Amino acid sequence: MVKITVNGQQIEADPKKPLIHACHTHDVDVPMYCYHPGLSPVGSCRICQVEVKQGEAPGRVMVACRTYPAEGMVVDTESPKAHETRRECLEFLLKNHPLDCPICDKAGECDLQDFTYAEGQAAGRTHEPRRPLEKRKSLGDTIVLDEERCILCSRCVRFFEEIPKQAQLTVSDLGSRSVISTFMDKPLKGKYQGNIADLCPVGALTLTKFRFQARVWNLTKMASTCGECSRGCSTTVEVLRGSDVKRIRPRENLDVNGWWICDIGRFAFSHINAPNRLEGSLVREVPGLSIARNEDALCAVRDMMMRHKEVLFLVSPWLTVEEGQKLLDYSKRFGSKPIFVSPEHNSEKDTVLHTGDPCPNRRGLTELGIEGLPQKAAIERMQKSKCIVLLGERIVELIGASAVEALPHATSVAVFDCHALDLPQVQACVGIANSAERTGTWVNIDGVKGPIAAVKPTPRNVRALERHLDDLVKLSPSTESMGARAR
Amino acid sequence: MKAFDTYLLDRAKQDGAHKLESYRKLGGYKGLEKVLKTGLTPAAVIDEVKKSNLRGRGGAGFPTGLKWSFMPDPAKDPRPRYLAINADESEPGTCKDRVLMERDPHGLVEGSLIAAYAIRAQAVYIYVRGEYRLSHDRVRDAILEARAAKLVGKNILGSDFSCEIYMHKGAGAYICGEETGLMESLEGKRGHPRPKPPFPAMSGLWGQPTTVNNVETVFNAPFIIERGGAWLAGIGTKGSSGNFLCGISGHVNKPGVYELPFGVTAKEIIEDKAGGIWKGRKLKAWFPGGSSCALLTGKDVDVVLDHDSLKARGSSLGTAAMIMIDDSTSIARVMEIIARFYDHESCGQCSQCREGTQWLAQIFRRIAHGKGQPDDIDTLDALAKGMAPGKTICALSDAAAIPTLSAVRLFKDELMECVRKQRDPLAVKQPEYAVAGGHH
Repeated sequence: MVKITVNGQQIEADPKKPLIHACHTHDVDVPMYCYHPGLSPVGSCRICQVEVKQGEAPGRVMVACRTYPAEGMVVDTESPKAHETRRECLEFLLKNHPLDCPICDKAGECDLQDFTYAEGQAAGRTHEPRRPLEKRKSLGDTIVLDEERCILCSRCVRFFEEIPKQAQLTVSDLGSRSVISTFMDKPLKGKYQGNIADLCPVGALTLTKFRFQARVWNLTKMASTCGECSRGCSTTVEVLRGSDVKRIRPRENLDVNGWWICDIGRFAFSHINAPNRLEGSLVREVPGLSIARNEDALCAVRDMMMRHKEVLFLVSPWLTVEEGQKLLDYSKRFGSKPIFVSPEHNSEKDTVLHTGDPCPNRRGLTELGIEGLPQKAAIERMQKSKCIVLLGERIVELIGASAVEALPHATSVAVFDCHALDLPQVQACVGIANSAERTGTWVNIDGVKGPIAAVKPTPRNVRALERHLDDLVKLSPSTESMGARAR
Repeated sequence: MKAFDTYLLDRAKQDGAHKLESYRKLGGYKGLEKVLKTGLTPAAVIDEVKKSNLRGRGGAGFPTGLKWSFMPDPAKDPRPRYLAINADESEPGTCKDRVLMERDPHGLVEGSLIAAYAIRAQAVYIYVRGEYRLSHDRVRDAILEARAAKLVGKNILGSDFSCEIYMHKGAGAYICGEETGLMESLEGKRGHPRPKPPFPAMSGLWGQPTTVNNVETVFNAPFIIERGGAWLAGIGTKGSSGNFLCGISGHVNKPGVYELPFGVTAKEIIEDKAGGIWKGRKLKAWFPGGSSCALLTGKDVDVVLDHDSLKARGSSLGTAAMIMIDDSTSIARVMEIIARFYDHESCGQCSQCREGTQWLAQIFRRIAHGKGQPDDIDTLDALAKGMAPGKTICALSDAAAIPTLSAVRLFKDELMECVRKQRDPLAVKQPEYAVAGGHH
């Protein structure tokens, strides 16, 4: 570590990391386009110019992303010379930029727009038309490129070279004729494509699934955790006006995912937005399942459990630590221990992020003492049981509706899931909140806790599983009176 | 012009000097023999070159001995080390290295070997401009001949010095003549200049210590070894020693490449060598060292040609490629062509250069074609100041900005007149030409 002065403030900086990193970690704002903390610095956009003084020599304006802190360095990011140089650079960057912010998806979170508002001149000096290029060039199913907006920072090029280590993009042609392209216009491959839309400092790379979906200032953003594998990448879930999840983006977390997320996690919101939710509860009556108040459904579940000697609690691996703990405490009254259904590892495992294990909270549940059973073994246990309670998001999907259907009709089943299951065995269905509607914690493969956030309200009459469990505790006889059953 | 001794082009003037046999007859490989047979240490070679005050002939005029001494001590840094010879001569107006390579290629081979010995390089890469087919073939043949005569390869001349020389043909990009762009290109990548530091002496070709020298620079080395550093230091002026090759082109009667000692005036060169300005016209402006230098006016022909004198006039010696422009020529049109060149050749990494070179080209084009706007001259000035100096990774941005700034400073009235009259009074009816880049 070396001691340097930034804007009069003495700070300690790592001489192996660029000066801009030291500035940013001490809340000194330096604009950047080509620099990204997760990629190698190239120093090509030239916007991060700051004035640097070393020893007795007069201050020089240098790019902060290719200058490394040295003992005694005096940095001024706000000197008139630094401002002037950055302003000049900005004018060049805007020379061919179409300024179509009103129809650009990036508007509102665009680095170029922000810095232009902060620093730029009100009027342009060009008399020439801007260079006309392709406005919607498909780079495959995930990404659309707007060549006109591109400022050739090459972050996307370096991303593929350095993170998935499969170079796919390049800057083709020279000088002012440069454009980003894939080799022979082949579509992009792999499951890390979405990251380049986040990396793009302007609106040149956009997600096909997010194009024209929302203005970013209308999105509510909440910190959450991805549930698509046991890596548990930190995410930001963005919801449009409290209804639909429009976008999931990686949230910087150096302990887990760095700045990245795979496309499986990025686009894992169709089930969150899915229609046909079970909005409320259902209880078996003579003709079939019929709508009931949540309390009545919970009473029916309680009665069902009380009627049987043994109860099998099968839970989903998407259960949070908190839900797991509540259920563990409750299930003790029945002398039973919940078991989570553990799906098999899938083929998505790679060397970047994806672990191939679809259970986001395997470690958290295991540490609580809840064991996992593969689907087949879980079904065998179900066949031996007379009373089964299925709990958690996607539990029916994991077990398979056909497995429940194949059970003897005398078996009693209660379901706590987002969707109803209409089978003769099912005595009650209770709607629960999904992973975008509840709070809690998942513990990832390395033991790092990831919070999940309630980013949008639950549908009417739907509550989180935790609250249903609280109510079940209240509605059930006390532990002492059930002592005879608890062994 | 005073009489002076020549040495650079003596052999090149003889027909057939490109063959090893005649090269030896004309005194070739004596320098290399002296180095290898009298036991001169690499440090002694560098000292001799330092004593000669030889400055690089590639444009920047950096002291050659000093550059060689930047290579790390091999005892402390055992990495392999390389010498790259920059023969990617593409600066508009420059054509001096071509003469040496075509007519005296063994001089380059011998010079490269001495330089490689001084910096203890195990391999030399000669990066030849793609269009220089004859140069490439002549140097290649010279290397083959030299290898057969045990002058290149393992244990040269029976000594324990081994060095291989490889040829590489460029693909026509001006930017690959920039030393770090050249190295990227040699490595098989796009010729995008690298940010410095790290400097090539620490991390050059494939990340190893590398020195990049111009053809004419190393061509001087055998003469320095043979005749001594003090001999070269005695030629020329205080800050610039030796003879240099001056390529004079443009509106003169006898354009060509001439060998001259530093210290002659531009007027002497124009009148005694180039036969004066053609068609009895007057000199209006001239570039002293290729199109990247600041323009000078006809009045400046009394300037002494060396690094310091030209710097004092606000220009630079560059590669000593003088481009002469007579008084019938429109400066707007000259600058249109030059700005178009830099727009075409910018690599496109840095924002200022990528957009700025295009912008300059567009404005000069408009002015030259009678569509100038009243604020254009001020914009040109402001843009060029935003592009240079030292605001980008390499000096191409500066190369476009410097002539622009000088044209705006020296010929503001003429440019303003083009704008005011909405036509270029000096315009010559031009045949339609293809516009570089195709999207203007």
